[in-house]
Amino acid sequence: MSLKTLCGRFLFRLHEHGVTASRGAAVLGRSSTRGYYNTKTPRCTDGAARVRVVDLRSDTVTKPGPAMRQAIAEAVVGDDVMAEDPTVNELQKIAADMFGMESALFVPTGTMSNLIAVMVHCRERGDEMIVGDLSHLHIYEQGGSAQLAGVHATTVTTLPDGTFDLEQLESKIRHGYPDPHYPRSRLICVENTHNIQGGRVLPLTFLQEVRALADRYGLSVHMDGARVMNAAVAQGVPPSTILQHTHTVSVCLSKGLGSPVGTMLAGPKDFISHAVRCRKALGGGMRQAGILAAAGKLSLLEMIGRLEEDHCNTKTFAQALIDCDPPLFNVDMAAVETNILRFRLQEPTFSPSEFCERMGQVDEGEEAALGQGIIVLMYPHYGNSVRAVWHLGISPEDTQLAIQKMQFVASQFLKEKLRAQ
Amino acid sequence: MSLKTLCGRFLFRLHEHGVTASRGAAVLGRSSTRGYYNTKTPRCTDGAARVRVVDLRSDTVTKPGPAMRQAIAEAVVGDDVMAEDPTVNELQKIAADMFGMESALFVPTGTMSNLIAVMVHCRERGDEMIVGDLSHLHIYEQGGSAQLAGVHATTVTTLPDGTFDLEQLESKIRHGYPDPHYPRSRLICVENTHNIQGGRVLPLTFLQEVRALADRYGLSVHMDGARVMNAAVAQGVPPSTILQHTHTVSVCLSKGLGSPVGTMLAGPKDFISHAVRCRKALGGGMRQAGILAAAGKLSLLEMIGRLEEDHCNTKTFAQALIDCDPPLFNVDMAAVETNILRFRLQEPTFSPSEFCERMGQVDEGEEAALGQGIIKVPPLQGYKFDIVFVWIMKSK
Repeated sequence: MSLKTLCGRFLFRLHEHGVTASRGAAVLGRSSTRGYYNTKTPRCTDGAARVRVVDLRSDTVTKPGPAMRQAIAEAVVGDDVMAEDPTVNELQKIAADMFGMESALFVPTGTMSNLIAVMVHCRERGDEMIVGDLSHLHIYEQGGSAQLAGVHATTVTTLPDGTFDLEQLESKIRHGYPDPHYPRSRLICVENTHNIQGGRVLPLTFLQEVRALADRYGLSVHMDGARVMNAAVAQGVPPSTILQHTHTVSVCLSKGLGSPVGTMLAGPKDFISHAVRCRKALGGGMRQAGILAAAGKLSLLEMIGRLEEDHCNTKTFAQALIDCDPPLFNVDMAAVETNILRFRLQEPTFSPSEFCERMGQVDEGEEAALGQGIIVLMYPHYGNSVRAVWHLGISPEDTQLAIQKMQFVASQFLKEKLRAQ
Repeated sequence: MSLKTLCGRFLFRLHEHGVTASRGAAVLGRSSTRGYYNTKTPRCTDGAARVRVVDLRSDTVTKPGPAMRQAIAEAVVGDDVMAEDPTVNELQKIAADMFGMESALFVPTGTMSNLIAVMVHCRERGDEMIVGDLSHLHIYEQGGSAQLAGVHATTVTTLPDGTFDLEQLESKIRHGYPDPHYPRSRLICVENTHNIQGGRVLPLTFLQEVRALADRYGLSVHMDGARVMNAAVAQGVPPSTILQHTHTVSVCLSKGLGSPVGTMLAGPKDFISHAVRCRKALGGGMRQAGILAAAGKLSLLEMIGRLEEDHCNTKTFAQALIDCDPPLFNVDMAAVETNILRFRLQEPTFSPSEFCERMGQVDEGEEAALGQGIIKVPPLQGYKFDIVFVWIMKSK
């Protein structure tokens, strides 16, 4: 059976804020050499005539829709290094007010935002930061805090719910300072929602306790709040309720909130004036950045509420994993709080890599079984698990397709296993 | 004489690729606290009814015009950290081909581009770079090469034409390495066009000689070519003719070429793959950056040729300074090669600061004399010399 290979034509159906585009396999990238994005390029065997792609790799893949593109096209701009870009200035004000902070700064990425926070909080040689051992800052930011900022880091164990043990945290503070053996503890970093642990929402009581501890010892608290809006929506509170417990925060606009580029760093006025300097030194002093800030404004003003849909879709799929026959998957439903789903496979001979590979390709007979080819992209993840992330590009219908595919892959695996026995 | 204060309404007339916009004094910013942009906010006395602003502070103020905005709005995008943004990929290919380099990388700023180049060329602890004492990299990048990259720098004296003395340059190379007293020389940085010296174009023979010296000692050459397109246009050569003498280059899209944001870093494939890592670590790994790259493509494909107009306008003004009666100004016409004009005031009681301040405000009686108020807002960089830098953009 040979059909014309039409692998090149994938129909991306984005959500009503998105645009429909047909693009070839090239846009799915040459990710195979990258550890972080450890998936091979999806393949179709036998060239399925109709293929749907459900991209659950990350909420960073969100693209700007028509309203956002219009805002971008019409943005009033100026030179932001001269503080003359009105759109950037407006975005910074909106963010500061929303977060309950004195000031905010628009930066190109969450990595830069966190790095700037570290540089400002730990500005003296010999300063030390305390960070979760499974935090994005510690694992996925290339050790920039040490490499570039020269800051020593010590870690605390991250619990499954994204929190730390408060006693262990307190023990990491350098009580012996200023004895010259010891660096000076300056900063505690928390991550909310917690990425590696599966989009976990930090309890407000935990944040309160961390802040109390920090205050007792004169430390600052920075929140990597890349997905803090997901936390706010999940907890049903305004962002400022969460952020009252931290001194500073990074909030990504380019993830679930849909902007093409950007993160807001927020905190006290004095912190932000130092942050402007660090941003410049790092090379983040963009010029007519209002082009990007225009999208950011929409993200903050209009796109927070819809995150609830992503959470629903995530839970729908999680439940389907639990209900799957054969029962291949291990999911803790109580741990599925936002838009990131982390699950394990119960079958030792079926690895996360293999599962992701199968989900990411169209098999012989799939079109017959499902009516079309379905490609579902997700990543093998920390701790022998699989991670899938929902975002504005994934509709309830896409979620159902992903469920169908998952059931198909599960039953195919079972058939092969039985055949082999 | 009191007229209604309409200081808030300045008409910015940008070049035909630009847009006409009316905005208040706010867009001219609160630059007064900044050393680099050391101008007070322009003031109108007596509220001139009609005021035109000619912004000569920098070519960084360029705004995207209708064609660019359309390209931005329609840009096909993807996640560039996953290498899936087709517009960024296209821009990088266009740049590499145009520069005669193997690969190119889109980065948010020239500062980051230069910093990445330093980080990649000087990647081992104990490496040293040689840089001009009046280079942007050394003066205006907050010492990032030391502060962030941990690289030691030594400087060579910058001559008025932007070049170095080759003998002095050779003497700065650490011939005693690997004796443990000495860092290891890895990199020579040149700047073309040279900003502080007034937009000076580096002679091709000089670049050839620097490269020969570098090759002899196994050093790399990086060009801060923020305005290298101005050099190419001034010399009437393709960029690749200039860039053949360097290993790597930073080329700004956001200055005279008009993009809102961005710089291209270009060089060998291997260099660029390391550069991608450095860019990520620094926080330059943007996501759907095609929004910006779409403008960048236009910059490279359509907006180089028009730089000649900026050079003409600069020379016109320079000549007018010379012809000015009273003869207040000191200009070396031979040194006016591109779009940056650097001149002195002959009158000791008239300082650059004061000159800029007066140029930047509308005085009583000005409207009567000139028919309108005209505000020229140049920056003051009284860093070392009594000079005023003026950037000229094409204006109607």
